[in-house]
Amino acid sequence: MKPADEAENNILYVGIDLGTSRSSISASNNTKECVESYVGWPRDFISARVLGKDILFGSEALGNRLSLDVYRPLERGVIKEGIERNEEAVKELIGHLISLARPPKGQKINAIVGVPADTLKVNKLSIRKAVLGYVHSLMVVSEPFAVAYGLELLNNSMIIDIGAGTVDFCIMHGAMPAEEDQKTILTAGDYIDEQLFSYLSEKYPGSKFTLNMVRQFKEKSSFVGNAGHAIQVELPVEGKLVTHDITNEIKRACESILPAIIDTTASMIARFDPEFQVKIKNNIVVAGGGSRTKGIAEYLHGSFKELFGDCRVSCVEDPLFAGSDGSLKLAMDMPKKYWEQL
Amino acid sequence: MAIFSKKRGSRPRRIILKSVYEENLRILGKNPLGPRWKFPYLFKGYFFLSFIVLLVLGNVDYLDSRLFSENKKEIHISTQGENFVPAEYISLINDKKISMKQMFGLGVKTIVIDPGHGGSDPGTSGKLGLKEKDITLDIARRLKKKLLAYGQYKVLLTREDDETVPLNRRTEIAARSKADVFISIHVNYVPSKPINIIETYYFGPSADGDTLELASAENAHSNYSLGEFKEMIEKIGDTLKLQESRRLASFIQDSLYLNIKGQNSSVLDYGIKRAPFVVLLGIDMPGVLTEVSCISNKKEELKLYTTRYREDIAQYLESGILNYLKKGEPVYEASR
Repeated sequence: MKPADEAENNILYVGIDLGTSRSSISASNNTKECVESYVGWPRDFISARVLGKDILFGSEALGNRLSLDVYRPLERGVIKEGIERNEEAVKELIGHLISLARPPKGQKINAIVGVPADTLKVNKLSIRKAVLGYVHSLMVVSEPFAVAYGLELLNNSMIIDIGAGTVDFCIMHGAMPAEEDQKTILTAGDYIDEQLFSYLSEKYPGSKFTLNMVRQFKEKSSFVGNAGHAIQVELPVEGKLVTHDITNEIKRACESILPAIIDTTASMIARFDPEFQVKIKNNIVVAGGGSRTKGIAEYLHGSFKELFGDCRVSCVEDPLFAGSDGSLKLAMDMPKKYWEQL
Repeated sequence: MAIFSKKRGSRPRRIILKSVYEENLRILGKNPLGPRWKFPYLFKGYFFLSFIVLLVLGNVDYLDSRLFSENKKEIHISTQGENFVPAEYISLINDKKISMKQMFGLGVKTIVIDPGHGGSDPGTSGKLGLKEKDITLDIARRLKKKLLAYGQYKVLLTREDDETVPLNRRTEIAARSKADVFISIHVNYVPSKPINIIETYYFGPSADGDTLELASAENAHSNYSLGEFKEMIEKIGDTLKLQESRRLASFIQDSLYLNIKGQNSSVLDYGIKRAPFVVLLGIDMPGVLTEVSCISNKKEELKLYTTRYREDIAQYLESGILNYLKKGEPVYEASR
């Protein structure tokens, strides 16, 4: 993976997946890094001294959140509006991601950033603004399209990218997907967390837990269909740890986003000629963090089969880096003359 | 997984790469390489010159500088004589797949949100006592806040409080503010069945009994005189308003239904429909009346009591409106 002009002009190509929950970077110098999308600044002079850093990222920021002002600056895949610090946090997060790719000082960097399919132009511009300080040239593409490009699924395929903030859909038909080939819905991973939190609060009113704990339960044990075994967690009740069975709550919460995904997929495929519908429905790929949900491909396959007959649904092998790898591949394939204009 | 192996330099890939580049140029407000419509420059110039001449000579019935003018019917462009416009351009203008808004890059600046009912007219009420007028006002206020946050739109409410505002006053507010888009928010009531439905209307005739009954209920307190009503009826043939209203209704319905279905899989999609709502007839801009929830369903009423759910509905409306403003998609029409 070394384009001719990289050697000539010493350009580092990077693909960035700027996610609501996790962000990842893949670079042409073969580095790949992933960080949880949290940015934290020490609350005061004492916290700064204790922590010994001006800014913390990812799990380190989350682990020290009591001493920090912590921001999760992306909401539904775009910069949260209204709080200036969120824009600053996105800038810092991108700077951090790029530093993880270890570019030598003064290195020219060309980047492609993946954003949700339905992101408005104004949001794309704010993401450009946040990234441009660190790179020489930049392009923004839709996240599911980047995944499709990375997997060489350029024709007759559909990507369903289940993230934390959004579920993005993209149908590839041998050309750049048009706006009507892409769709975003907002009931995604974060929605599952909120549902699970509310189910657990209802079932175990005496227990104390946070949304962050609930998110961890989900990430560890998410499933749809049959769990295969009971899912148990320990939650504090009046200061003592008590074991709770949360199998049904996890199932309900994880399955709560599926009806909208199934409907959207069906309505998007239905717009194509029957001949293409057959090809597309046999090439449905689930990506994003949601693709790690146990049984999701089988569940969707079963539902789609009921709706439109035989089909094939699979999950990407590396959901953490499928988006950034696709963006990197796109960046490296992009002719030099195009980069110069941007 | 089926992988389509293609050479790096293959034609589809080159086209895709070029399209990514052009899309990014557009984000920056720059013109992509080459014209999108491959008409000769002379020909294009001739078309636009003809168009301007037609406007000046009055051969075009409407299409003024503002998005929607006062006296507009269908577009009639001369196909004969010295001011003739080539037939392909007429079909382009009348193309149902591309909206006029998109084709001519007409912008949207003012959005009027109409919280249904209010004051002495409570609208419908749930079994637990929640009133439609309170829900519609709360959702409208939330929606206004969300749209204002973009800094690009002027957003007005037809009522800011629990006050009685007749339908003719609501349409006046929209007209006076030179609104470009009108959204009337309502809550449904279906006492015969314990169901939760979402549906969105744009103005037009309907033969459906339930729809007519609903329209008749929503049209109460219109305060229009017979003369005013006659004037409004004359505008029924307004193609642009109809086309855009249908499109707007489709985006709003799609966003509301798909997102609410994520929370409640039993919600039913009653789709977009035409109905003779006076509030939609009286306005000169694209407008819809959306029934965002169904208060006769007790579970739904309980959810409507929560701030979170009302905020969610406002967000789904926001998403539908913004989707409409930024792109076009085919629409579907469901039947009851």
